[in-house]
Amino acid sequence: MQQLLNTALGGLTLGAVYAAFALALVLIWRSTRVVNFAQAPMAMVTTFIALVVIDAGYSYWLGFAAALVSGLLLGALLERLVVRHVDGKAEINAVILTLGLFIVLHSLAAVVFGNEYRSFPAPFGIRGFEVGDRTIALTGFGVFTLVAVLVVMGLLVLLFRFTDLGLKMRASAFNAEVARLLGVQVGRMKTLGWALASLVGSLAGLLIAGGSLVHPGYMDSIVVYGFVAAVLGGLDSPAGAVVGGLVLGLSLSFVSGYVGSQLVALAALLILMLVLMLKPGGLFSSTTARRV
Amino acid sequence: MTRRNTRSPRSAGLTGLAGLVATTLVLTACGAGGRDDDGDGDGNGGGASDVGVTEDSVTIGGHFPLTGVAAPGYSEIPTGAKAYFDYVNANGGIHGRKIEYIVKDDGYNPTNTSKVTDELLLQDEIFAMVGGLGTPTHSAVVDQLNAEGVPDLFVSSGSLMWGDDVEARPMTFGWQPDYESEGKIIGQYVAENMPDAKVGLFLQDDDLGEDAEKGVRQFLDEEIVAVERYTSGNTDVGPQIAGLQGAGADLVLSFNTPSYTALAQLVSMKLGYKPKWFVASIGSDPNLVGSLLSQFSEGAIKDGASALEGVMTSEYIPGTDQTDDPWVQLWQKVWDEHGAKGELTNYRIYGMSHAYAFVQALQGVGEDLTREGLVEWLEENGEGLEGPQLAPFRYSADSHMGIAGMRLAEIKGDTTEPLTPVLVTDIGDAEITEDSSGQADDAPPESGIPE
Repeated sequence: MQQLLNTALGGLTLGAVYAAFALALVLIWRSTRVVNFAQAPMAMVTTFIALVVIDAGYSYWLGFAAALVSGLLLGALLERLVVRHVDGKAEINAVILTLGLFIVLHSLAAVVFGNEYRSFPAPFGIRGFEVGDRTIALTGFGVFTLVAVLVVMGLLVLLFRFTDLGLKMRASAFNAEVARLLGVQVGRMKTLGWALASLVGSLAGLLIAGGSLVHPGYMDSIVVYGFVAAVLGGLDSPAGAVVGGLVLGLSLSFVSGYVGSQLVALAALLILMLVLMLKPGGLFSSTTARRV
Repeated sequence: MTRRNTRSPRSAGLTGLAGLVATTLVLTACGAGGRDDDGDGDGNGGGASDVGVTEDSVTIGGHFPLTGVAAPGYSEIPTGAKAYFDYVNANGGIHGRKIEYIVKDDGYNPTNTSKVTDELLLQDEIFAMVGGLGTPTHSAVVDQLNAEGVPDLFVSSGSLMWGDDVEARPMTFGWQPDYESEGKIIGQYVAENMPDAKVGLFLQDDDLGEDAEKGVRQFLDEEIVAVERYTSGNTDVGPQIAGLQGAGADLVLSFNTPSYTALAQLVSMKLGYKPKWFVASIGSDPNLVGSLLSQFSEGAIKDGASALEGVMTSEYIPGTDQTDDPWVQLWQKVWDEHGAKGELTNYRIYGMSHAYAFVQALQGVGEDLTREGLVEWLEENGEGLEGPQLAPFRYSADSHMGIAGMRLAEIKGDTTEPLTPVLVTDIGDAEITEDSSGQADDAPPESGIPE
């Protein structure tokens, strides 16, 4: 019973991180119609920036803020300096470009920050809460993770659904030409989209790093699982991404605990295949494809 | 303006493509990938071969994880070996030859190991592979090395494969005690001294875990209440530790790499799980694990050494804490004179120790250095070799197994306290006996170079 509970709670915490990452993918998809594979190494770089700040003796929260701000800047810079150049060309170019960025950032981080495992502190307890005489696999930091993800999801829903800015971002992603005619500054919207997505990605990086070990490759599996979570939720819907992330985290945790940890990657792949085959729009896609 | 528009066919196609890319990434993460088919060479495995040997040099190579999940600790091994080779070279080399040591990074990925081994054999033309690290990695190249007649010495892994079948792999020699023997020794200790323990096994899901479990099960069976396996690369061991806890194991025998010792300790702390731990020698370096765990908040773990306080482990060479051991004094001198940056660590001592054995063999073979000659010399003289190892090698014409045994110890503060004398055994149902060779008490020659 305790094992069941702990496996589930562990899965939920991990799922929250997948969800955070999926949110970043959803954000960039909705604001630029690009799937950004470089999201993982971007988040890794900003997490290392936080670690540098913390190692220099400053507080965790200063490092946390530094990571988020540098995430915002990194996203904007990459959009202006790199991705902008393939704008207007086939969409595949942008996707392949992000894969290139993936490798470049990875290697640069290894050169700058080193390739070793390093521990990353957590602002809250990393011991589980005690209920009666039992300890459950939910930590202060785990709660913080869940709350942070829900807050971000809420903010994204607000942004896209209830603000002019969100509408402009969606418009410029969807049809740049028409949006421009209607007076939307499409370039700025795309930069903003990248910056915000990178910010959310940085948050995901910090959430998975807290109380664990980091190295330049630590986000690599997250990009895959985060993508599966986003597809599960339909790539379009923030709520879908969160539900997708939690479902995936739970499933993988149970596969690892009760079937075998060697099957985790395979299970993720299987889920991805099933979703793409049976419900390509995602379980929670709010867009129904209308065939004309 | 409608709130949402229909999805265009183009973007739907893009989702599919992105899915494909993600699929590829998952597959890569699974570590799929075979060996290169080329690079078989023309198999000049004859006695006349002296590739890599000149009048004044001998070129050797090794593959190590300098990056990636297995790099912490293990990447220090070649720096230790290099320091010792530099020391030997600075003192004139062996039979007038300087040792050129080439280290390649395989990132603990077997596909890369094949690639870098091809480079070592074809571009660098090494005489021998020395200390190549890792069971999955070295498995990918062991047949190639044997087919081409390249001596494959002192593999840095405790798999049985490096020494139990001399006919199939005549050029390969093991070095550290095999995991099965280690499993037997800890198994017997637990059966005799902690008969009421509920034992859980925490195993890496490959030969390491399999061999160890085979050894442990010779002595423990009913006592084992849970067996959990983790996959190297998947850093979430929460479900596995929850499984051990759920089964009520109060003694966990874990056979894993150092990062996973740290991860397992972290998760146990999270779950409030406090069993007695035995961590096999390959995963128990207190300094390394401690440095990984040292930073966490709320003072849960104070500093390096205390992270593994009270953990049982095993030792087969003296470590940095034994500062009055003559071997450790030699290693300290070598590191001070020729080391790279950083302190002398147990991993560097490990590298120096196998470098020492290689220099010993070069010295013994004499001026006419051939690949066949080297292998023959080791088979004839290996068992009696002096060296830092606490128990003798098992080298003979029938076995290429490495060090025959170890002693169990408990980590106390910065050092360890022995729980048993040096025990020796062999694979299969060979008996476990106290070592009588006096190997643990020898000292290096004055010069620090084998004579």
